[in-house]
Amino acid sequence: MERYATLPVENGVLGAIRQFLAGLLEKKLVDALLVPLELPTGENVVPTIVSRPEQVQRANPLAPVLPVNAARLVSRVTLVSSSPERLGVVLRSCELRALVELVKLKQASLDKLLLIGIDCFGTYSVNDYEKSVKESASSTEDFLNRAREGKEDPLLRKACQICEYPVPMGADLTIGLLGVDLAKGILLVAGTPEGEKVIEEMGLEEAKAGERQPAVEKLTAERARKREEVLKQVQEEVKGLDKMMATLATCINCHNCKTACPLCYCKECFFDSPVFEFEAEKYLGWAKRKGALRMPNDTLLFHLTRLNHMVVACVGCGLCTEACPNDVPVFDIFRLVGYEVQKVFDYVPGRSLDEELPLTTFREEELPNIGV
Amino acid sequence: MKEKRIGVFVCHCGLNIAGTVDVEQVVEQIKDYPGVAHAEHYIYMCSDPGQELVRKAIKEKGLDGIIMSNCSPSLHQATFRKLAASEGVNPYFCEIANIREQCSWPHAGDKETATRKAVAIIKAIIEKLRRNISLTPLVVPLTKRVLVIGAGVAGMQAALDIADSGYEVVLVEQSPSIGGHTAQLSETFLTGDVIPGLVSPMMSKIASHPNISLYAYSELEDVSGYVGNFQVSIRRKATSVDESKCNYCGLCLESCPVKTASEFDRELAQRGAIYIPFLEALPQRPVIDRETCRHFGGDKCQACQEACPQNAIDFKQEDTIVEEEVGAIIVATGYELFPCTGIAEYASDPDVIDGLQFERLLSPSGPTSGEVRKPSDGKIPEQVVFLQCVGSRDPEHGVSYCSRVCCMYVAKHALLYKQAVPEGQAYVFYMDIRSDAKGYEEYVKKMVDEERVLYLRGRVSRIFRDGDKLKVWGSDTLTGKSIEIAADLVVLATAMVPNPGAKELARKLNIIVDQYGFITEAHIKLRPVETLTAGIYLAGTAQWPRDLPDTIASASGAASKILSLFSRRELLHEPTVAVVDPEVCRGCGQCVAICAFKAIELDPVKKVAWVNEAICDGCGACAVTCPSGAMQHRNWTARQFFEVIDIATAEYV
Repeated sequence: MERYATLPVENGVLGAIRQFLAGLLEKKLVDALLVPLELPTGENVVPTIVSRPEQVQRANPLAPVLPVNAARLVSRVTLVSSSPERLGVVLRSCELRALVELVKLKQASLDKLLLIGIDCFGTYSVNDYEKSVKESASSTEDFLNRAREGKEDPLLRKACQICEYPVPMGADLTIGLLGVDLAKGILLVAGTPEGEKVIEEMGLEEAKAGERQPAVEKLTAERARKREEVLKQVQEEVKGLDKMMATLATCINCHNCKTACPLCYCKECFFDSPVFEFEAEKYLGWAKRKGALRMPNDTLLFHLTRLNHMVVACVGCGLCTEACPNDVPVFDIFRLVGYEVQKVFDYVPGRSLDEELPLTTFREEELPNIGV
Repeated sequence: MKEKRIGVFVCHCGLNIAGTVDVEQVVEQIKDYPGVAHAEHYIYMCSDPGQELVRKAIKEKGLDGIIMSNCSPSLHQATFRKLAASEGVNPYFCEIANIREQCSWPHAGDKETATRKAVAIIKAIIEKLRRNISLTPLVVPLTKRVLVIGAGVAGMQAALDIADSGYEVVLVEQSPSIGGHTAQLSETFLTGDVIPGLVSPMMSKIASHPNISLYAYSELEDVSGYVGNFQVSIRRKATSVDESKCNYCGLCLESCPVKTASEFDRELAQRGAIYIPFLEALPQRPVIDRETCRHFGGDKCQACQEACPQNAIDFKQEDTIVEEEVGAIIVATGYELFPCTGIAEYASDPDVIDGLQFERLLSPSGPTSGEVRKPSDGKIPEQVVFLQCVGSRDPEHGVSYCSRVCCMYVAKHALLYKQAVPEGQAYVFYMDIRSDAKGYEEYVKKMVDEERVLYLRGRVSRIFRDGDKLKVWGSDTLTGKSIEIAADLVVLATAMVPNPGAKELARKLNIIVDQYGFITEAHIKLRPVETLTAGIYLAGTAQWPRDLPDTIASASGAASKILSLFSRRELLHEPTVAVVDPEVCRGCGQCVAICAFKAIELDPVKKVAWVNEAICDGCGACAVTCPSGAMQHRNWTARQFFEVIDIATAEYV
C-alpha cells in the first residue's frame, strides 16, 4: 500500500524539493545523496554525491536533462562493496529501472540505499538543455509548466517522447508531480516501509493520492500511442539487411554507445579484446573475397552482439543515441527490438527484482509458437 | 602461435563419401592450404591399412596435428585420437572434419556442391586445429559406493546386484518397510508365483546383506557433487521407537487406541498409529505415525509407552540427518495409481476398487485372508466387472499413455476370481488387449477360451449404486449394443502414474522428469537406464510403467552400468570444458544460472565465476551467455568459432 504526504511549496517546486532533500541529510535519514546538481555556471546539471545539506541548494532533479544514466553511477559506487552508510539516490524512472537490472546482474547493491524516484516529463539533449538555460533564467520551471499543461515539446528526446514509464517503479519514495496542484504542494509517495519511515521522521503532513492515478494513466497512454507511431516508422527504416546496414553505415566503432548504456557492464568489452585483432592478410583476404570491405569492418557484429546481450533488459533511456558522434539511431533499433523481445517474455526491465532475467531462466510453457 | 604441421586424411568411406565428393579434388585443394604439411585420401581410413597410412605420415612428415575427414566424430573420434596419442601426437590435436553426415549424405547427387562444401568443412577445421592447445584428460577420483533411492523390487534388485559384486550400497526407502508395491500383490500373472515367496527372500537378503546400509522411513534431503563424488544427506524420520531397545514383541501395536486406514492394505483394513505395515515387513520394527497418533495430536495418550516392557517408546525422538558419500545414484522411486475417484462418472463407492485393492483381497495375508469379499458388506461378489484403461489412454480424464501392465493383471484377476468363486461371472471391458511378451497372448486367450471370462470391447460410461448392486453402463463396440450389468464389485485398472515425490527428488538430483513426472532417460533407445546427469541412473517404474520382468531387467541394467563405471580405478574427464578468465569476468552470474550441470559457482570473495571441471560437460552454453567473453570453451574459443564461421560463410558474404 502506498502512503502519501505533502511537501509544502512556499519557495517554489524546486525550493520544496531542495528543502526536503536537505532535511534528509539534516535529520540523518541519509548520510549522503546522489542527486543532479547545477554547475556553478548554471548551464548544466550533473549527478553529484552530496554530503553537506547546504550543497543541496544547487540540487535540480527537475532539470530536463540526463547527461548520464545514474544507474551506472550507483553501480560504480556499490560494485566492489555495498554502501557502508545510508545513501539516498534521486533517480528518474529509466535510471531506477536500469539499476534494478544491474542488481539482478550483480553489478550494484541496494543495501543501505534509499531510492528516491521522481516523476519524469522527459529530458532534452545536453546541448538543447544548455541552450534553454541560456534563453531563460527559469528554464526548469518553464519546462515543468509546459509539460504539465500537456503541450508537445519538440525538444524532448525521442526516447522520452515514447517512454511509457514516466513514474518510477519500486522506489522507496517518489516525488510526485503528476496530477497534483503544485500551487498547494508536491505529493510525496511512499512505496515501501522505508519510505513511510521517512515521511514519519520528517513529520510531513499526510495526504491523499487525489488525481494522481488518472493523470499517470493519461500520460502513459499518450506516450504508448506515440511509441506505436514511432516504432512503426523505425521498423520501416531498418527493415531488411540492406536498410540495417545503411542505418549503421556511419558507425565509427567508437563504442560510445556501450559506454553510455547503463546496462553494458563488462569490465572489458569483448570487441576490444584480442579476439578481434586480425592479421593484415585477413583484411585483404576479405576484401578480395567480397570485392570490397567496408571499414571499420565489425560494426554490424558489434551492434548485433550488443543487441543480443542487452536488449531484453534495455530500459529505453536513449543515451546510446545521445552518445553517438555520427547520429547513428542506436536507440531506435534497441527500442524496437527491445519492445518486441520483452513482449515475448512478458518482461519489463526494472519492474521487479523478483523477475528473473528471461535468458537465464527456463519455463516449460515458453515460446510455444516457435517452430510451429 | 607456433604453426602446427597438419596432416589431412580424406576417407572415401567406400562410396559413401567418394560417390558424392570428389576426394582427389579435395586433396588437391587442401594440400597447399596454410598449415597443411600432408594430404591424402584412402578408401577406408578406419581400417587397419588406413590407420597404418596415418601412422606412417605422422612419422615421415613429422606431423603434430591430424584432421580425419570422414564420418561423424561420434563414430571414430575416439579411434583416431587413440591413434594420435600412440604416435606421440596430443590427442586433442586430432580433429574430425565430418564430410559424410554433414556433406556427402545430404548432398548426394550434387558432386560439385558437395566437393566445395567438403573443402570448406576441412578448411574450417584446419583453422580450428591451428588454434587448439594441447590438453590432457582430467583425472577425477571415484568413490565406489552407490545410493539407491527406493526399495521396491527395482531398488532391491539393483542394490543386491551391486552389493553382491562387492560394493557398498546405501538404500533409502521412504516408507517404514522395504518391498514396495510388489509386496502388496497376491501372485504373479503367467507363472502364478505367490508373492511372499518371491519378495520376502529378496527383502531378507537386503536386510542382512553386509554391503547394504538400509535407511527405511528415510528420505533424501540433499545432494551435491558429481559423478564419482556425490555427497548425499539423508533424513531419517523419527520413528519414535528406540531401535536399540525394541525387541519386536508387538505389545505396543495392540495397545494403540487409534484405528486408521492401512496404506499397505489400501484402506481395506485398519492399523494403529504405532504400527508395522505388514506381517513380513522389514525392518520388522514399529513406527509411530505422528499424523494420527493421539499423543502427538495433543492428547495425553501414552498407551504404547505404558505397554512397552523395554521402555523403547521415545516421543521426543527427532529426525536425524546422515551424510553419505557415493559415486553413483540409482533412482527407483516407483509408481502410484491414478485415483479411482479421478473419473467423475464412476461412483465413489466402497465396492468400486482399484487393482491393488483387489490384490489385497486376493492375498492370503490380506484383510479377507485371501477370500474375495465385497468391502461394503463382506459378501461374496457374484458379478464382477473389471475395467481396463481407467485413466490410461485417456488424456481427457487421466494420462495419454498406456500403463502396459493392466491387460495382463486384469486377466490374472479374472482368473483368480474365477478360481475363488467358480460360479461367479467376470466381465472385462477393454479397448485393445496388449499382450506383447513371451506367453502373454496365450495367457489372455486362455481366460477367454477356457475360463469363460466375458471380454467386452468398449468403454464404460457410468457406474452408479442401485440398491445392493452397482449399475455399470457400457457399450460393446463389436456388436454396437449398449450394455448394462448389475455388478457386485467393480475393479478399475487405474493408470500407473509416477511417485508424486519424484518431481521434487529430480529437482534435488538435477535430473529431468517428463510431462507426467516420470524420470527422463538419457536416450530413450540407446541409453535407457542412464539419466543425462553423469553418475545418476534409473530403474523400474520411476521411468515408465513396467511389469515385474521388465523392472528387474532395468534394475539389473542400471546396476551393471554402475559396475562397469566402478571397474576403473579413477574417472577420466574430457578437458574440453569451460574456463573463466578471472581478469575479464565481471561476476554477473548469468553463466551460473544457465548451466544445466550446476558446474559453475561465483567466488564470493573475488566475485568471479569458477568452473568445476569435473562436472562441466563442455556444452558451451555459458560461453555463449557470457557477454564479456570471459567464459571460453577449451579448444572451441570465440576466435576459433569466428574463424570457422568465416570460412563457412565465405561464399555468401
